[in-house]
Amino acid sequence: MWGARLREAGWGYAFVAVPIAVFGLFFVYPFGYAIYISFFHWGILGKQSAGTGTFNYSKVLHDPIFHTAVKNVFEYTIGVVPLTMALGLSLALVINQKIRGRNFFRSAFYFPSIASSVAITTIALYIFNANGLFNHIIGSRTPWFQNAPTVIWAIVGLNSWTSAGTAMLYYLAALQAIPTDVYEAAAVDNTGVWRTFWKITFPLLRPAHFFILVVFGIGALKLFDQAFIVSNGLGGPNYATYTPVFYIYRTAFTTFDFGVAAAAGVVLFVIIFALTLVQRLTVGRQEAG
Amino acid sequence: MTLQTVAAAEPFVPPRRRSEVARKAFFYAVIVLVAALFFIPFIYTLTTSFKTLPDAANVTFIPHPWTTSAWHTIWTQYDFKTYIKNSVFLAVVVTVCNIFLAGLGGYAFARLKFPGRELLFLLVLGTIMVPDQLRLIPVFVMLTNWHLIGNFSGYILINLVTATNLFFMRQYFMTIPKDFEEAAKLDGAGYFKTFWRIMLPLALPAISALVILQFQGTWNDFFWPLILFGQGNPAHYTIQLGLAELNFQYTVLWPQICAGSILAILPILAIFLAFQRYFISGVVSAGVKG
Repeated sequence: MWGARLREAGWGYAFVAVPIAVFGLFFVYPFGYAIYISFFHWGILGKQSAGTGTFNYSKVLHDPIFHTAVKNVFEYTIGVVPLTMALGLSLALVINQKIRGRNFFRSAFYFPSIASSVAITTIALYIFNANGLFNHIIGSRTPWFQNAPTVIWAIVGLNSWTSAGTAMLYYLAALQAIPTDVYEAAAVDNTGVWRTFWKITFPLLRPAHFFILVVFGIGALKLFDQAFIVSNGLGGPNYATYTPVFYIYRTAFTTFDFGVAAAAGVVLFVIIFALTLVQRLTVGRQEAG
Repeated sequence: MTLQTVAAAEPFVPPRRRSEVARKAFFYAVIVLVAALFFIPFIYTLTTSFKTLPDAANVTFIPHPWTTSAWHTIWTQYDFKTYIKNSVFLAVVVTVCNIFLAGLGGYAFARLKFPGRELLFLLVLGTIMVPDQLRLIPVFVMLTNWHLIGNFSGYILINLVTATNLFFMRQYFMTIPKDFEEAAKLDGAGYFKTFWRIMLPLALPAISALVILQFQGTWNDFFWPLILFGQGNPAHYTIQLGLAELNFQYTVLWPQICAGSILAILPILAIFLAFQRYFISGVVSAGVKG
């Protein structure tokens, strides 16, 4: 009996050995290492001096470019998350009807979510350039992605179009989990479609709203690919496409200041972690009350 | 269920029927309009890739004349041949490693008993909280020290297995009845043989979802290839890096850029059309459970 148990445990450790090594080496250890690096002057050749301190943090927190990056990504998040949720829910409501070809439409709406972000952004650059298809239709000459006041909102439009399909799938799953008798009761009471939606469906979707809000909110704060592509990897015009992740990238690979980049990474992590906690606590309280 | 089912269950009332037809027509109109919004950009990009450079300045959907020269130049002159080869290689290797290691680990966490199992599993779940942006600097420093920057092994090493995949496989293994393993045990099969010959084949639906999502994830990955190969290793460029580079270098070569974009999307479109079922179930279950 003892031998069999020992043998089972031995195989258990053997099976998880490589995954645990990978997670330890490339996730757990770097987590601590990033914090360590953030307290030193650290360049491409490693630690530069013995001096330890919070100077990298004060540099990041006092850097006007980092402030711009945070402001940009907050604007983006406040724009893109509700828009994606509204689009995703609308698409889910339409797809949830008994219509011919709903599987086809579901796939068509979902596809941009899984297509390469670089390719989608490139296509958007083509369609929204000064002489492009979009301007041709609306009769304008605005270079939407090369123009400081419009670029973040252009990315908001692009990404809510792209990721609406994922939100739609989550909402569809939630819609189909609502028991039928709730609607039967509404039908008996002769409640209109619109009222049924706002009074019954929408509140019952609260867990889905919360889930999508957190997942898409965190994703939005990490905006990088689109900002990088539309600005040719430069963050312009006039820092309008700088995001915190872009700031980390530029600090690490153009000025090779790894200490400052690591500190910015820690700051971003803290912001995301704090928002997750706040969302979790506030929504939890609403559920209770 | 939907609202119509409810309406249809009621006795036949003519006015309601008429509004029902109007409502359906409205839904069709909306859905077709929205679908156009999703299709037109792709169709426009595809037709532009068959245009000549001067013709690309015209906002038309039909090339005049048709030419495959953009496709020809990106394949030969701009080396998309290499980029595609690199992307296929990385996506296949990373996906195979993930199936094997996530399967092995997922099986152990689901079924084998060993001291510290729950604690180790908590550690696995904890890694989902560590964002790439925090790992970036330390992982780059580590790979630099090991001389693994600018070659494929570095990329493969940090992507050998993800916690999400392991968790996904574990959840699936937990739904498989224990009878299969007990029968294998009676036949004298060892733990690895039971895993390899019995459990892994039984987990085929989960593996299909994992293959599709992981292949797509690696194919579309831009961040890590940029970090690891973007500092002057064009021979290691993936399709996404190659497309970004083409975009930056030749901003107005629209037919070529459009052809490159189509090429970066096409393999995922093909896989999606073939395995939609797994894509959609995979996303929903990963989302709902994860």
